[in-house]
Amino acid sequence: MNDDTRKKIIRTFVQNKAALVGLILSMIVVLTCLAAPFLPLPDPVNQTLSKRFKAPSLEHPLGTDNFGRDVLSRVIWGGRVSMVVGVLSVLIAMGLGTIIGLITGYRGGYVDNLTMRIVDVLMCFPTLILGILFMAALGSGMTSLIIAIGISIAPRFARLCRGAVMTVRQNDFVEAARSMGMSDTRIMFRHILPNVLGDVIVMGALWVGAIIITEASLSFIGLGVPPPTPSWGRMVREGLDFMGHAYWVSVYSGGAIFLTVIGFNLFGDGLRDILDPKLRR
Amino acid sequence: MKRHIPGIFIVFLIILFFAVNITIASEKTLNIGVFSADMGILDPHRSATTANLPIMDSIFNGLVRWKPGSVDLETIEPDLAERWESTPNGRVWTFYLRKGVQFHRGFGEMTAEDVVFSLKKAANKDSSIWYTGYTAFEKIEALDPYTVRISLSNNVPSMLGLVLNFHGGMVLSKKAVEKYGDDFKLNPVGTGPFAFKEYLPKQKTILVAHPQYFRGKPKIDQVVYHFVPVDQAREMAFLKGELDMTEGVKQEWWVEKMKTQKNVIVDALPPGELTMMHFNMAKKPLDDIRVRRALVHAISRQEFRETYGLSLTGDAISVIGPGYLGFTDQVSKYEYNTEKAKALLKEAGHPNGINLGEFVTSPIYLNSAELLQGQLKKAGITFEIKMVDHPTMHKMIRQDMNALVPYGAARFPIADEMLTQFFHSQSIVGTPTGITNFSHYKGVDDLLDQARVEPNVDKQKALWVKAQQKIMEDLPAYPLRITYVLFLRKGNIDLGYDLKSNMTLHYQLTEKTDIK
Repeated sequence: MNDDTRKKIIRTFVQNKAALVGLILSMIVVLTCLAAPFLPLPDPVNQTLSKRFKAPSLEHPLGTDNFGRDVLSRVIWGGRVSMVVGVLSVLIAMGLGTIIGLITGYRGGYVDNLTMRIVDVLMCFPTLILGILFMAALGSGMTSLIIAIGISIAPRFARLCRGAVMTVRQNDFVEAARSMGMSDTRIMFRHILPNVLGDVIVMGALWVGAIIITEASLSFIGLGVPPPTPSWGRMVREGLDFMGHAYWVSVYSGGAIFLTVIGFNLFGDGLRDILDPKLRR
Repeated sequence: MKRHIPGIFIVFLIILFFAVNITIASEKTLNIGVFSADMGILDPHRSATTANLPIMDSIFNGLVRWKPGSVDLETIEPDLAERWESTPNGRVWTFYLRKGVQFHRGFGEMTAEDVVFSLKKAANKDSSIWYTGYTAFEKIEALDPYTVRISLSNNVPSMLGLVLNFHGGMVLSKKAVEKYGDDFKLNPVGTGPFAFKEYLPKQKTILVAHPQYFRGKPKIDQVVYHFVPVDQAREMAFLKGELDMTEGVKQEWWVEKMKTQKNVIVDALPPGELTMMHFNMAKKPLDDIRVRRALVHAISRQEFRETYGLSLTGDAISVIGPGYLGFTDQVSKYEYNTEKAKALLKEAGHPNGINLGEFVTSPIYLNSAELLQGQLKKAGITFEIKMVDHPTMHKMIRQDMNALVPYGAARFPIADEMLTQFFHSQSIVGTPTGITNFSHYKGVDDLLDQARVEPNVDKQKALWVKAQQKIMEDLPAYPLRITYVLFLRKGNIDLGYDLKSNMTLHYQLTEKTDIK
């Protein structure tokens, strides 16, 4: 990428106000979560029952929950769970999906047909339902959560990647590479992959937000990361029990989900605008 | 004509609306909210599910009953039996049945045959989970259609408690059990004020008035038990008037909020449930008494009460509820002291604390599990919470999955019931006779066996006291808290009795219960 293109990209991005807001929002969230161990926060799992349901104050800016735990600290530490789950599941889905998409898109024929029918079946189910299914099979816990969500959305990446590969495959340089006697693997990974990666990355960025919601939903119904690890979804669920008494537990954890998802979605949209040559003027 | 269609349709709707309204108005329906996603089976001999207790209480009768609204053993009064007598040594009991008592749905008159059948069923291991209480029933016979004689092989802690309108004492229609077989569990036929009509899984159970009820036709025509596991949904339905009675949310602030509502009566009553933490002694390192002592020093019972609110809970002192016959508060006490817990762990060879592995729990116990996790962590004792649904949890804790098992229970209020079910070796989970001995404790078998057959009440009580003291010394379990039952009703609901106490864990309904 030469300096000229880079400048152009940055300019496009800065001009796209929504994308900029998205980037700033998601950066704030990501950085705060990363910095959690260094921030002067009380232990998110330490229970002090004498301080139950304390309204937001200087000592506890977002109040305390039913075990007297600091809500601000739990929101920030809970964000780490959402981030880790969001990013790692997307990586798993991207990895799996891209490989499947590459092979099926490049090979075509019955391999493609068979794989895509399986993908069709998997895509019939909403992500949440698939997630519940995989969680039931894998058992609760962070690792299984990541794997469950990753596998659930991998078909979508596979489908996208396959389409892109099929277009790229038609290009002359692929034909040229083949005529030079290159192996299929090399063509797929050295010549086709770089050309479809942009699309996959954009989709990945767009999916982080959706996955954070999926993680929160799974935690909400009790299938997420087990206690005492704070998690946004479970905090919303816990807070629901005493919504009329201490609104702050649900509202602030819900707010965190809202801001993060909005941030990632705006950012993803912006990224698409930049990387998509058809939309670029 | 086409132009008129909307008009005709509207008129039709209005007529329909009034017609529906009129049918509703002419029937008195009582809507009850139950804190449960579903109910279990409606065979009183085989069901210990909390949600079922009030439903079965409305359907069935025993030979004798507690005076409605009371659980005092002194208030026991005739139910299906008009009167009874026993030989001076207390070994032979004769019950004289009420005549003309009709079973629901045309299953005919209740006779001695049904009583004998029911008690034999309750005493049979294959058809009852309460059978251990009936092991002393040597002979149950019908002398004539209205007389039942029970001969005991030895004295029992409370004979009337076994023929009471609770658990194994409920009388079922023999004909109906034979007709429905295993389907009886969802086709219950009894003699109570309300008869079973319909069950919609995970939604509701509908009962209708039993017009031939022997104490008179109930004032209410229909009772609908709605299964609403979500607190907010129940609260909203109650405040909107969709529910006339409901289980409350066990939180002090919530109760205070409800008390400010117009036309709402809050009933928070003892004896309620006793929650104990059972330590699975079959699992290392809980076989070590020093570790168990460390555990109890690391548990703050005050905090367990505070999570619900002090006005809704009571102190758990011994391993049976206060007020149970034979209860004693003269047992070892262990103060909350994290340092002491750490020292004991160190002494037991665990200077770096211990990990108790996976702790399987359901949403209902999650709060307790989390609280416990936070408390124990301060003493260096850790475990990982694993969430499953409630029935799965019940299955798994009976397969020794957990090192720690929290369990809340209310039983017939004599010491023997709880002590035998939780601490007698015959009740150890996973064994053929297993009930709820989660700790694999065997230390008080002799005391309990002696007490059960002891004819002298004072000596019997002394044995139970000794058993409680030994249990609190050996610590197979630790009592955490007494949780009172908490129900709410609309101001226009007349229970028809004086509510002092309750074992059915929801409002009991009688023929006199009415909507004003």
